[in-house]
This record gives sequence, structure tokens and C-alpha cells, in this order.
Amino acid sequence: MNPSLEPRTIGSLEQMWRKSKALFSVWFAHMTVYRAEILIWMLSGVVPLIMMSVWIGKAAASGGEIEGFTPASFAAYFLAAWVSQQLTVAWVAWEMDFQIRQGELSSRLLRPLDPFWEHFFRHFSERFVRGPFILIIVIAGSLIVPGTRLTPDLWHVLLYLLVINLAFAMRFLIAYCIGVLCFWLENATAFDEFFYVLLTFLAGGFAPLEFYPPAARAIIEWTPFPYLVYYPARVLTGALTAPEILHVIGVQLLWIAVFFVLRAVLWKAGLKRYGAVGA
Amino acid sequence: MIEVTGLEKHYTVAEKEPGLSGSIRSFFSRKSKTVKAVDGVSFSIASGEMVGFLGANGAGKTTTLKMLSGLLHPTAGTATVAGFTPFERRASFLKTITLVMGQKQQLLWDLPALDSFQVNRAIYEISDADYAATMLEFTELLDLEGILKKQVRKLSLGERMKCELAAALLHRPKVLFLDEPTIGLDVNMQVRIREFVAAYNARFNATVILTSHYMADVTALCKRIIVVDKGRIIFDGDLSALIEQSSPAKIVKLQLESSVSREHLETYAPVQRLDGLFAELLVPRAETSRVSGRLLSELPVADVTIEDPDIEEIIGQLFQSQRVQPLPTLESVTQ
Repeated sequence: MNPSLEPRTIGSLEQMWRKSKALFSVWFAHMTVYRAEILIWMLSGVVPLIMMSVWIGKAAASGGEIEGFTPASFAAYFLAAWVSQQLTVAWVAWEMDFQIRQGELSSRLLRPLDPFWEHFFRHFSERFVRGPFILIIVIAGSLIVPGTRLTPDLWHVLLYLLVINLAFAMRFLIAYCIGVLCFWLENATAFDEFFYVLLTFLAGGFAPLEFYPPAARAIIEWTPFPYLVYYPARVLTGALTAPEILHVIGVQLLWIAVFFVLRAVLWKAGLKRYGAVGA
Repeated sequence: MIEVTGLEKHYTVAEKEPGLSGSIRSFFSRKSKTVKAVDGVSFSIASGEMVGFLGANGAGKTTTLKMLSGLLHPTAGTATVAGFTPFERRASFLKTITLVMGQKQQLLWDLPALDSFQVNRAIYEISDADYAATMLEFTELLDLEGILKKQVRKLSLGERMKCELAAALLHRPKVLFLDEPTIGLDVNMQVRIREFVAAYNARFNATVILTSHYMADVTALCKRIIVVDKGRIIFDGDLSALIEQSSPAKIVKLQLESSVSREHLETYAPVQRLDGLFAELLVPRAETSRVSGRLLSELPVADVTIEDPDIEEIIGQLFQSQRVQPLPTLESVTQ
């Protein structure tokens, strides 16, 4: 059930393009129906913006700088962290959980396309509805704190686009693995909630990793969390050198490979257990 | 087209005593038991055949259909559909079949049905020419004009079911598994859906397995029926043969002009019901015309109708008897 290598998924490039186009346009249409809900949902990810004001206050109180972070660089970091968090949101665990428990997965399994792709396009198209709102908040945030420059140049934006897409792929695959656990458990969303709490504290939305105790940071570096928010935010704000960025990309690809394989294994084993309840 | 041998599906079901104490006990030690939803089913269906799958709720009909459409892995036994092993779920297999579940939907709730059609068109790799031709045909057969561009959630149940059927058949599958396709629909809409399935079968020589609680669906579409009970097949054969065999008598209903005593009526045939001027007699099939002739000439009859017994009743008797023997005039029954 490897989603990209499966013969059923890819007929020819043209068919692939047609499928992508159809899935994108239909889910984009669906997401625009829910644009107001998406905006409200975005507000639930407001932690980095709150932390931004906390840290700016602290910096101002201690003579304008902490660990090399000025109010403007805090603003840039937390805005970038917030954007990164917004662009890596994945709710596929909830969808999988619902589909498996309610038996809705059945109608998806009857189609000659791995449901993976439909979930992917739901998330992908949603980003285009979320995008304009993100832009407005970023511009507003940059104007509020004087001297804030989110990113030094276009190159960093381009590199960021790559890194943030890899971060999304990581988050999406992790959530997918959590959702697929519902083949074995009564409910998998509790795990996703737990993951979300870890994400909030360990991914960099609370504070840049520089402010964590060195021992804690050393452990966090071995988890996927900083590669979802912290490192992408550092890439966007221009804080990393080229070799450091390459290292980030390498680690991200490694995590993607791990969760990609894990998802495939879990999915294949899970389908055998699927009870198609109520459907 | 469909070959099934010794198919079984067992589920492990968690059991819990009702109430708080039951919940606390099951929190620490969960009991479970194995339920045999399908217990050794075998049958064979030819290409183009329409077969009715009958049985009470929980008899194993839907589980069998799910195994045949590749959603469930069988616990034991084999199934072949159009030359494929269903649970391998190969793309070419999935393009050959469809499963319509009356109680489930595949259409996107917030968008017009046409959007869901577009997705299926791409996923099933339907060519522009085929899509246009199929849409033209379905729009006419199902009277879809005007409802395809409405949000699905704003459609009536009947309209939605028509769109569900069209979406499920857009890729022109050769094998149709229809699970309660008319559930909850009014009589007119049921007839419409039935006619559509019959037309589709005739047009594409499609093989159809149909389950329904409405016996009229089955009698209108299927010559052959398979009756399942507790996961086993208890009858497999011709519907008309089942009626003849299980009920050797026809029901002659008489509307009388003046009252006739039960004793007198009994001299013609056993009386099933006598209610004032209305009487029901059970007349052996072979003697139906002779006895009704006598009734008409010798009694003050205002009106007479001759009917087969209610099929639901016959099926009900079949469940109760539990010891259905392979009847000599029928195809063999697989237990």
C-alpha cells in the first residue's frame, strides 16, 4: 500500500494530473464553504502570538535583549513560528478515526485510489483558504512591533517553502499513523491530542530552543518536533547558515522516510482488521 | 462471474454488562466473544444474473457483500469475482464492481453531486466520451435533470439516492452489489430505482446481487434468491419454485353477496379466514381452476381473486422451520 508506488495510484502522468486537479478543485470548493470555521480554527493556534508578547516584554525589561534576541527578532521568530504552525496543521488523524469507526472508510476503499491522496488534497487545498488570513495577520504583526523584518531576502523565502512543505509532510504522515491506530483502538484522537500538547511545548511555539535547558534541548533535537516549527521558523528569519539548512532538510527527509514506511505497514495490517462497521 | 466456496467471517465482539458496575468490571477485564457473521457460504452466480439476497437483520447478507467487494478479509474460504480475489483490491477489480449501500453515502455533503461525479470520473479514469454518454443515459433513466447542480444536503432522500446510484455506476461496473438501495424511499421512487437497475442490467449485462427489506424489489428484479440465516444459506434457488414448494396452495379470496356458513365453505377447500361476507380459502394449486369454477357457479359470489401467498410469510416460515431440505425441483442448497 505504498501510496506513490502502487500501480493503482499512478496510471500515467496525465491521469495523475487529472486526478490531482479534480481532487484539488473539489476540496478547495469544500473548504471555501467552511472558510469561517477555518478562520476560527486558526485562532486556536494562537500560542506563539501570545508568547511573542511575553518574550518582547521580557526583552524590554532586561535592557532590550536576551540571548541575542531583540524585541524585533522575537517578533520575527514568533511570527515565523506561528506561520509554520499554521502551514503544518494536519487533522487527518481525526478524519481517519471517524472514517474507520463509522465505517465511512468503506466507500473510499471501493475506489481505485488510495484514500491517502484524498486526505492529502483536503489538507493541501485548505492551505489556499488559510493563506490569505495568514498573510493579513503576518503583515499586521510586523507593523505592530517596530523594526520587525520577518525574512531577510527572497532566497530564504524559497528555502522556507521547501522546508515548510517537508515539515507538513512529516506532520501529515505522523497524524496519519496516529489515525490508522484506530484499526486497533476504539479511539485514536486521544493520541493526537497528546501529540498536539507535545507539539505545543517541544516544537518551538513556546520559546526558541535556545531558551530550553541544554540537556532538554539535546533530547528534543532527537525528536521530530523542532523540525516542524522551530527550524522552519529559523530558516525563514534567516538565522541559519546554508550547511545548517541542508542538515535540517536531511533530517526532515529521514523522518519522512520513517513515517512513510510506518504508515504503509500500519495501513496494510490495519486493513486486514477493518470491520467495515455500520457501512 | 461470482464463485464463493466455504466463505466465513468471524468477528470478535466485546461484551459488557449493562450499568455502572458492568462498565467498571469491563474496564479491568474485558470479555469478548467470537461471532460467526458468515459461516461457510458457497454459491455461484453467472454473468448477467440478478440474485436476491434475503435474510433478517444480522443474517450475514451485508457481511457477505462486503467480502465480495473487497472491504473485508474473509476468515476462511475463497471468493472470486470476475476472476479477481476481492480483498486484494486491485485497481482493475475495483473498476469492475460497485457497492451501493442505501444507508451510506459517498457523495460530498456540502457540494453539488456533479462535483462528486467529477472526482469519480478522474479516479476511475473515465474518458470524456464515455462520461458524456453515461451522463446522458443516466440523466434520462433516473431523471436527474435539475438536481445535479444542487448541494447534496439540499436534496430529498429520493433525489440523493438517484445521485448515489449514478455516482456508483458512472464507471459502468460489470458487477453490482446493491445493499438496501431503496431503503426509506417512497413507493414511486422504489419503482424508479428498480426500473433503473433492470435497465442497467439489460443494457450492460451486469451481474447483480441485491439485498432488500422490500420484497417487491426482489420479486420485481430477481428470478433467483438466496436466503441466509445466522450466517448460513438456507435456500438457494428459483423464487417461483420456492413459492410453489413451500406453499402448495393458492389463496382464493371471495367477496360474497350473502352469507355462507363456514361448514359449507369447508366442503370446497380449507377456510383460512371468514369475516362476514369476505372469505379466504386455501385451494391446492392443481385444483385452483376447478374449485374456483365451482365456487363461482354454486355460491353467491360478488368478486373473486386468486393469489399466491405472501412471500414474506413464506420466507418467515422458512426461517422458523430451520430444516430446509434441498428440494428436488430446485437447485442444490449449500449449507
